[in-house]
Amino acid sequence: MTDATLAEGPVVVAPGDYDDDHPVTNTGLSNNKLAMWVFLASECLLFGGLISTYLLYKDNNISGGPLPRQIYDIPFTSISSFVLLTSSLTMVLAVSAIARGEERRGRTWLATTAGLGMVFISGQVYEFQTFVREGMGFTTNAASSAFFTLTGFHGVHVTMGIIMLVSLVVLSLRGRLGVERAETVEIVGLYWHFVDVVWILIFTVVYLIP
Amino acid sequence: MSRRSQMRRFAPLVGVALLLAACGGNQKLPQNYLDPKGPAARTINNLFMPVLGVAGVVFVIVLGLCLFVPLKFRARKDADEDVAPRQIHGNFALEIGWTIVPALILIVIGVFTLKTVFTLSKEPPKTALSVEVIGQQWWWEYRYDLDRDGKFDEIVTANDLVIPAGEKVKLTITSRDVIHSFWVPKLNGKRDAVPGRKHPLWLQADKPGEYVGQCTEFCGLSHAEMRIKAVALSRSAFDDWTKRMQRTAPRYSADDTSLAAQGYQVFTQQLCASCHVINGVNDKQTKKFTADGGIKTPGLQVSGRAPNLTHLMARTTFAGGKFYLRKNTKECNALGLNWAQKPADLQRCIDRTALEAWLRNPPGQKAMAPEPVPGRTGRRGMPNLNLSEQQIDQLVAYLETLK
Amino acid sequence: MALTETGPLALPSGDGAGSPRPLGVFARPRTTHGWRSWVTTVDHKKIGIMYGATALFFFLVGGMEALLIRLQLATPNGKLLSADLYNQVFTMHGTTMVFLVVMPLGAGFMNYLVPLQIGARDVAFPRLNAFGFWCFLAGGLVLNSSWLLGHAPDGGWFMYAPNSGVQFSPTHGIDFWNMGLLFTGIASLTGAINLITTVLNMRAPGMSMFKMPVFTWMTLVTQFLLLFAIPVLTAAQFLLMFDRLFGAKFFDVSAGADPLLWENLFWIFGHPEVYIMILPAFGLVSEILPVFSRKPIFGYPFMVFSGIAIGVMGWGVWAHHMFASGIGPYSVAAFSMSTMLIAVPTGIKVFNWIATMWGGQVRFKAPMLYAIGMVAMFTVGGLSGVTHAVSPADTQQTDTYYIVAHFHYVLFGGALFVFVGGFYYYWPKVFGYFLSDAGGKLNFWILFVGFNMTFGPMHILGLRGQPRRVYTYRSNYGYEFWNMVSTIGAIIIGISFLVLMANIAIGYARAKRLSAGGPLTAPPDPWDARSLEWLTANPTPVHNFDRVPTIRFGLDELFYRKYREDEGGRLVRVATAEEVVEKGDRTDVHLPSPSYWPIVVAFGLPFVGWGLIYNLWLALVGGAVVVLGIFGWALEPSVDDEGGPLHPDHGQPPTTGESGAAEAPVEQEAALVD
Repeated sequence: MTDATLAEGPVVVAPGDYDDDHPVTNTGLSNNKLAMWVFLASECLLFGGLISTYLLYKDNNISGGPLPRQIYDIPFTSISSFVLLTSSLTMVLAVSAIARGEERRGRTWLATTAGLGMVFISGQVYEFQTFVREGMGFTTNAASSAFFTLTGFHGVHVTMGIIMLVSLVVLSLRGRLGVERAETVEIVGLYWHFVDVVWILIFTVVYLIP
Repeated sequence: MSRRSQMRRFAPLVGVALLLAACGGNQKLPQNYLDPKGPAARTINNLFMPVLGVAGVVFVIVLGLCLFVPLKFRARKDADEDVAPRQIHGNFALEIGWTIVPALILIVIGVFTLKTVFTLSKEPPKTALSVEVIGQQWWWEYRYDLDRDGKFDEIVTANDLVIPAGEKVKLTITSRDVIHSFWVPKLNGKRDAVPGRKHPLWLQADKPGEYVGQCTEFCGLSHAEMRIKAVALSRSAFDDWTKRMQRTAPRYSADDTSLAAQGYQVFTQQLCASCHVINGVNDKQTKKFTADGGIKTPGLQVSGRAPNLTHLMARTTFAGGKFYLRKNTKECNALGLNWAQKPADLQRCIDRTALEAWLRNPPGQKAMAPEPVPGRTGRRGMPNLNLSEQQIDQLVAYLETLK
Repeated sequence: MALTETGPLALPSGDGAGSPRPLGVFARPRTTHGWRSWVTTVDHKKIGIMYGATALFFFLVGGMEALLIRLQLATPNGKLLSADLYNQVFTMHGTTMVFLVVMPLGAGFMNYLVPLQIGARDVAFPRLNAFGFWCFLAGGLVLNSSWLLGHAPDGGWFMYAPNSGVQFSPTHGIDFWNMGLLFTGIASLTGAINLITTVLNMRAPGMSMFKMPVFTWMTLVTQFLLLFAIPVLTAAQFLLMFDRLFGAKFFDVSAGADPLLWENLFWIFGHPEVYIMILPAFGLVSEILPVFSRKPIFGYPFMVFSGIAIGVMGWGVWAHHMFASGIGPYSVAAFSMSTMLIAVPTGIKVFNWIATMWGGQVRFKAPMLYAIGMVAMFTVGGLSGVTHAVSPADTQQTDTYYIVAHFHYVLFGGALFVFVGGFYYYWPKVFGYFLSDAGGKLNFWILFVGFNMTFGPMHILGLRGQPRRVYTYRSNYGYEFWNMVSTIGAIIIGISFLVLMANIAIGYARAKRLSAGGPLTAPPDPWDARSLEWLTANPTPVHNFDRVPTIRFGLDELFYRKYREDEGGRLVRVATAEEVVEKGDRTDVHLPSPSYWPIVVAFGLPFVGWGLIYNLWLALVGGAVVVLGIFGWALEPSVDDEGGPLHPDHGQPPTTGESGAAEAPVEQEAALVD
């Protein structure tokens, strides 16, 4: 507040006072994109809690049954991890294709991403089945409960991502995913990359660190 | 003006009154921890009191300001509504001041706090008596390791924690089911009894006497009636007590027709003996039952646990401390733990009515969950055994022999 | 400044460029009056009012529970409640007051005020906002349905494992607790995302972050705390739910589980939660004190940064709830120190509030009494809080009535006092009529006396060793007198709330009479206020601002539009309230349309909850409702081409064809009409 403004006298907002030129949002990010970032920040704490729980219980099979680390199939999980990581790449390609207005190509990449996600989920379902067959069910011991909860939660997140991707593909098939929707695709991409990053963390913490 | 100054005087008065009310009349306040009876509680109190004093000073200053400032700067009736007071946006030096000064005060308090934390966490000497304190719904069990072999198996008792006065006693606190908290306010602060964990705490009572407390972590239905009593004895009395506690109870033959012997038959043939242990009677059958702490044994966590009754009449309360076994009268209390040693004393001091009422219908006397819920949980607490009046008389006669 | 209208999953709405026909099956509702307008509303003001009203209802429920507790404890060996019932009542009292009263009251004020204080027309995601409210309501109803469906939760609001496991709590009460709080958690989380986005993105031109009112700042800090705290509770609740419903082993001690896992997770949520409850009140008091002292808030930067400091440090003190839990002397020492230090920023606030009044013209209107009362009562709670930070002393105090006294001084004397003061302050803004000032003062003094009679003696009871959460106590422990005083105090508090209700009813009746059937309108800017919410007419018109204001004077924008210095250096009034405040008569602002879908989605949730407890088929039905609702939501046309909800006569159909037409920038459109 300067003297000059004060000298202007009482400010009664008059018609036309409204400044038309100010940016659409204060941060420059759209509300949707900002909200997704904020949401993902919150998700970090959810996975943080679950990962901490797993770390606390990973060696605890007092109530019997094998520990997760005793029955891992690291090569198998490595491959499915690689598949999920690849889907991040195809997601990037999809985003950039849509942004360039290449709707058809974007659709292909989106479908590929969703497909790779489904491969990952199928791998997880197979892995879970194998574990149960080998005597490690959800309720077998504390370690197994923590393992299934953590990886299961991640699986649910991937599944939600797949639903979003498939919805985008459907929209695209109906011709509603033009360049003006690039940001929507980008936001779904943000979510997808986040889920991938979380998997890298889980894969490291759960599978690789002894 | 007079009203204002009146109110200013009022605030500190309230504070002083509160303090006085809180401190006074300690004889009737058995759980008042501002009246410590042992070094640990005293250490805490010596730390707490100055802090309370500092808080009191700040209380008086801030509440005084809360009254004084608005009254001093209240809008005058004749004030010109169209003139606003000077708009003061802040004062950096002042604000830094009331950031730093409280921080310094708190750091000083913090230093003394840390010192006390580490003082209190010092292990008692190796020669100290070592007792395992086990909480369960809704009573406390105490197991003594007298021969220092690391096993708490020489004495198993309940409700009354008996300790030698003037000595540090090392407690190892744990639980068989949910989280409880062990607290004898006049001797030390509380420590949670967490299943699967063993938490250390030490107690020392300055003088012989009885110090009460109770469970302070919500532990379900009868949390309110999970009481604690630490009974401090002189060293010689304590030694006598330990010797007495290690005696086993006699068995009775089937052809004995005394009332106590009939009670013995009731005890061993009814459900009593499947939960309660009496050393010399059924402790061998249930060895596994009592020795492993129970935590890892499925099925024992919820039920199947009841106080060891070998020396029931050497305790002052029963049912988790809810009821007096020794009548709560001056003369009976004066007998201490020996109230049942002489038959005359026993007859005079036993609260037989309470004991009989308990045997008649335990869940009616204390909130418990003695009936299992299929598929969800087992018994928690003593069920109604539907004893006849005759059986109750017999049982009481038998229990009276368990000195 | 676009009003976007998409859900968190950002599925595109139907009418993008080149597609005039919306994908949605149903048109958006258009009701503006009657109950339907409330059910389908996306207006942040209506949602704020609904939060407030619902919270008051639950306050009544929680207050009844409190009275039951006090009546039971009035005398030793009380017979009113059984142990079982008492445990349910105190669990529900705590849970209700925390999650269904203090939090939503804060949410109500934040929802109503934040867009107004930053000069916006609504929050960033209006439908999400409505969804949040309905989730909260669903959670509250699921939680309280436990009373009717057999057994209320009985593990304490902190729900320590393993007591909360099936083995020790075999009834379904705790499942209700779990489900209910998961749903209110969704409400908090969506609210946090929404309000953070709103504050960061939708401020009026010229309003930089450090020109935002303190209340808005405290809202931002609160929402960040919620954003990070709620998922921790959610994670813990999922673990508990899996244990209880599916036999997982997280808290099964016989399987080697560690009960301290729950304690840590719960308090990592639980301590920030304490600040989540108190920071909105800090914000409100920072609005009321300056207005009734006619001075700016003292030390605005200190107020803001101390709020942020509290928000940050609030994450490093959780284990002070566990000083007796056996966490070891080093942890105890560290958390003692951090807890000591968090008193510093709080102290700054108290001193700055007092300094705000210094040199002002203090007007003792009802809201001011509550604000001053809050500063005093909160200080009492803060000081007893410092004595808890002294961890050895805390091992004596914890789980006694001393703690009960402490947190009631902080949360009742702190938060609720200001919220009631906020009612008296904002009532004309929200409803267009005044609550009687004399009635408000009467209300205050009854409340003040009752409050101190109820909770003051609890300090003494605590020092005398009366534990919390006990349904009975013995007669010879020195507890009788003060318990009786406390119970009488609780009844007086009850009376003070009857006074509040009577005030509302009488005020309404009088206003109705005076308005002679017309709409209720309070005069503009009745308190000579300082921030933007009072720039709008009373009650706030549905479109908030006729013109989105441009901030020229920074903080206290409204005040400096009314006052300036004369030659003598005195601040004198240069414009009347009528000249400065908008008329609120604009009819051509296009607003986000109401929607059925938020309540539809939220409607499915209780069935998911009940279904998981009783029958999975019911859960499937509920889940189907949720999924259908989400699709309906996503496919709903984002604006109603047939006419806005408010102004069927507006001549300008929404412009289409530009990027993101779904998020038609209402401001721009308004400007077009000019």
